[in-house]
Amino acid sequence: MKLSWLFGHSMEARHLLYAYLSVWAIQGGYFVRLALEWKRSSKDASQPLSSTDADQDL
Amino acid sequence: MTIGVIVYATRLGLLLAPVDALQGNVFRIFFYHVPTSMLSLLFPYVNFGASLCYLFWRRRDPLKALNADAVAISSAEVTVVYASICLWTGMLWGRVEWGLWWTWDARLTSMLLLWLLYVSYLLLRRLSATGQTHTLAAILSVFAAIDVPIVYMSIQWWRTQHPAPVFGGGPDSGLDKSMYPAFVWNVVGWAMWGIFLLGFRYAIERRRQASEQDAALKAIEASLEMAK
Repeated sequence: MKLSWLFGHSMEARHLLYAYLSVWAIQGGYFVRLALEWKRSSKDASQPLSSTDADQDL
Repeated sequence: MTIGVIVYATRLGLLLAPVDALQGNVFRIFFYHVPTSMLSLLFPYVNFGASLCYLFWRRRDPLKALNADAVAISSAEVTVVYASICLWTGMLWGRVEWGLWWTWDARLTSMLLLWLLYVSYLLLRRLSATGQTHTLAAILSVFAAIDVPIVYMSIQWWRTQHPAPVFGGGPDSGLDKSMYPAFVWNVVGWAMWGIFLLGFRYAIERRRQASEQDAALKAIEASLEMAK
């Protein structure tokens, strides 16, 4: 079975396509947000506290 | 592996499941809408259990309480993600089938309320600056969990716009056997993905808690040094 019907111009086809794409977009978007947060938190953890203190002294 | 299962399930839903006799191809939204809706009613119970554990342990065992709190915030975020998908795919489907984007039907309204409750839980966690934020959020989540059985039962208690349950909704309910593989694989795939997201978010929260504790410890050490 071909997927060509999914890219039709009828409302049924468009809404079905939007539903599937938006699920991937929402889940993917949340995953990317988590990945960025993970990366940021690992950077924060590796940063020594003394450098922050030195910045504050300046 | 999780992505593989979801891709396989999507392929089943889009290509291999037969066309629905009444609704045509748009019925395939079912294979994403129903599994994510089911999961959006399961993750609140993880949040509920973790919040109860937090309330129980917060004075008895603060370390366990922090652990429970990390599970609670993670499951609340995953609930919001799945509930958003449930509402959005439902609107897309409803526009085709009912000619409406939205109606104040019992199921839709109670689901929107559930979404709002968990969004307010997350906003409370983010914006509140009192020392009691975690306790207040845990209490809110206990109340929010009350909405879950109301959402589930709404289509049996009140017969409005939303169709009756597919499973156990009377003699005319049920799914054709040929559609089961697509449905079951989507439930499995999205459940695995949800558990993965929950674990990932939990790890981030634990790391944040550890760095917060570390900073607090260093601040105490610094103040002790100054006192000397």
